Amino acid sequence: MSKYAFWPGCVARGAAPELYTSTLAVAEHLGMDLVELEAAACTGAGIISDGEPYLQDVLNARTMAMSEQMDLPLMDICSTCVGVHRLAAEKLRDVDYRIRINHHLAPEGIEYRGSADPRHLLWILLEDVGIDKINSLIKRPLEELNLGPFYGCYIIRPERTLDFDAHPTRRNSLEQLIEILGATTVTYDGMTKCCGFPILTMNKKNSLTMAGSHLDEAQSKGADALVTPCPLCHLNLDAQQPDAAKVIDRNLNLPILHVPQLLGLAMGLAPEKLGLTRHVVDTNRLLNKIGA
Amino acid sequence: MAQQEFIIQRYDPDTDESYEESFNVDVQPGQTVLDSLNAIKWEQDGTLSFRMSCRHAICGSCAMKVNGQSMLTCQTQVDAAAERGDPVRVGPMGNQKVIKDLVVDVGKFLHQFERAETWLEPYEDQEPPEKEYRQKVEEFDHWSHASTCIHCGACYSDCTVAAVDENFLGPAALAKAYRFVMDSRDSKREERLQYLSETEGGIWDCTRCYMCVQACPKDVLPMDAIMELRTLAIEAGHTNNHGVRHHKGFTSGVRKRGRLDEMMLPVQSVGIGRLLTGNISAHKEMMDYTPGAIRLLKSRKLFAIAQRHGANAEGREQIQRIFDEVEAEKHHHDVDADAFGAEFQTAIGGH
Repeated sequence: MSKYAFWPGCVARGAAPELYTSTLAVAEHLGMDLVELEAAACTGAGIISDGEPYLQDVLNARTMAMSEQMDLPLMDICSTCVGVHRLAAEKLRDVDYRIRINHHLAPEGIEYRGSADPRHLLWILLEDVGIDKINSLIKRPLEELNLGPFYGCYIIRPERTLDFDAHPTRRNSLEQLIEILGATTVTYDGMTKCCGFPILTMNKKNSLTMAGSHLDEAQSKGADALVTPCPLCHLNLDAQQPDAAKVIDRNLNLPILHVPQLLGLAMGLAPEKLGLTRHVVDTNRLLNKIGA
Repeated sequence: MAQQEFIIQRYDPDTDESYEESFNVDVQPGQTVLDSLNAIKWEQDGTLSFRMSCRHAICGSCAMKVNGQSMLTCQTQVDAAAERGDPVRVGPMGNQKVIKDLVVDVGKFLHQFERAETWLEPYEDQEPPEKEYRQKVEEFDHWSHASTCIHCGACYSDCTVAAVDENFLGPAALAKAYRFVMDSRDSKREERLQYLSETEGGIWDCTRCYMCVQACPKDVLPMDAIMELRTLAIEAGHTNNHGVRHHKGFTSGVRKRGRLDEMMLPVQSVGIGRLLTGNISAHKEMMDYTPGAIRLLKSRKLFAIAQRHGANAEGREQIQRIFDEVEAEKHHHDVDADAFGAEFQTAIGGH
């Protein structure tokens, strides 16, 4: 059984509980053993670092040190978390900086040795679990579905930090998953852009114009739903969708799925178990289409 | 030599017609996208319009979208752009009005530099040096990345905020502003930080999407510069805005619970102080959250937010200790920095 140090992120343990429950549900079916890092802190999401970059690095060094101590690979389920973890890991390759940061971890009896390689569940599915294993567990191929990927910035940029050269499959990981599960990918310009969530409280109009225009583009290209590895994108694309529709003056009705929800549907899990009844944008029409 | 298909996005201003046109070009190993555009123009269609000059990634004229991403066409080899023998798609830069074919009006982009006054403002009460204004090597090393901009506009073309907001200063102008904020020869550091914090379309409107970092052919790291400007602006006391309230609210939530506090963050972003003093626009902003809150209630998400998980008790204790230590260390460093600053000012003779 493959074992991971599991960082769920704040939103999966808050406003997007369906991401957390669907992750646990599919992990069980895939035979993944997830050890949740219950003492770990928020990654800071690039927001703590607005004013306190050093503090954010200490918090993430601590989380990565925990995974080192358990001798387990670190798994994230949020584009923002994995991006921020990897940015911290990159900075902490500098030995002098690591020594300075480790000073704050010493009272807890831990040390970050610089070996963490934080990865998102989406990558782990393709890199560790593998296509064959996923294929063998598909009970309900999603052939009827046209799905738009929506990445969330930090899982595709900056490419250097995400090690795309060594792992070229990370460039189009969502498209690959969609196709493995039997569905058809709808490509559109907005799929690699910003959902607008980071500036929702600062500039609501800009934020919702971004969300709205990506949703409108995907919908008009025939997407039945979007699938995203980022719960922050989910908040802006799903929970804010009615407001985004008003801002861009369009009718929007596009369900947004989390990665493990999509996988769970293909594996034949019940929609309730995957939290698909807890979305703002109703998922019934989508579920009817695949007979779930 | 191999044949390669190019699909060019064209625009004819006389007829106001946009269309795609396909060309086949014989491509040599190492040939660039710009070489191929020239081959099309010289041998197939002389009306194809695009900007170019140096062909050595220095002049910044030939930025376009290749397969949807902005880059210098003189620096991009066809082999790298044409994966699996697919056609190479070339279009004009984004977020700017197209004049003809691959040529855009860069006026809006250049105007942002004027707004941010990205030129040196020397200390007026200082005698000009005999030879040149000097900058310490170690200081320059810290911001040298931001000085390498060639104004090609690739970052602005891919910027997700510029796509929805004409007022946004944009990555290039903000990186250039950062360059002067950091330059010890510049006298307007404080004014710059204030302007960049407070102007519409300033540092707090960036989404942190990394598009500019990815697009920049010169590793200017515009977004990193914007993030550092935020830290500097907070340190300089420019804190009366939504961005800083969001940062402070977020950070204090993590200090308290080890995790993001989704219940309190909207209130803190609007500003508890503003709400308590009866600020009308603050109350209106709070009202704006109501429809969203009702939707969250209906989808049972509000219940989940109320139940939100913090770090466990042991974790919280350690996290709070780290916050306190970093805070204490910061004050310690402030004292060091003041001492260094005084020494430095004495060395350069004043200020």
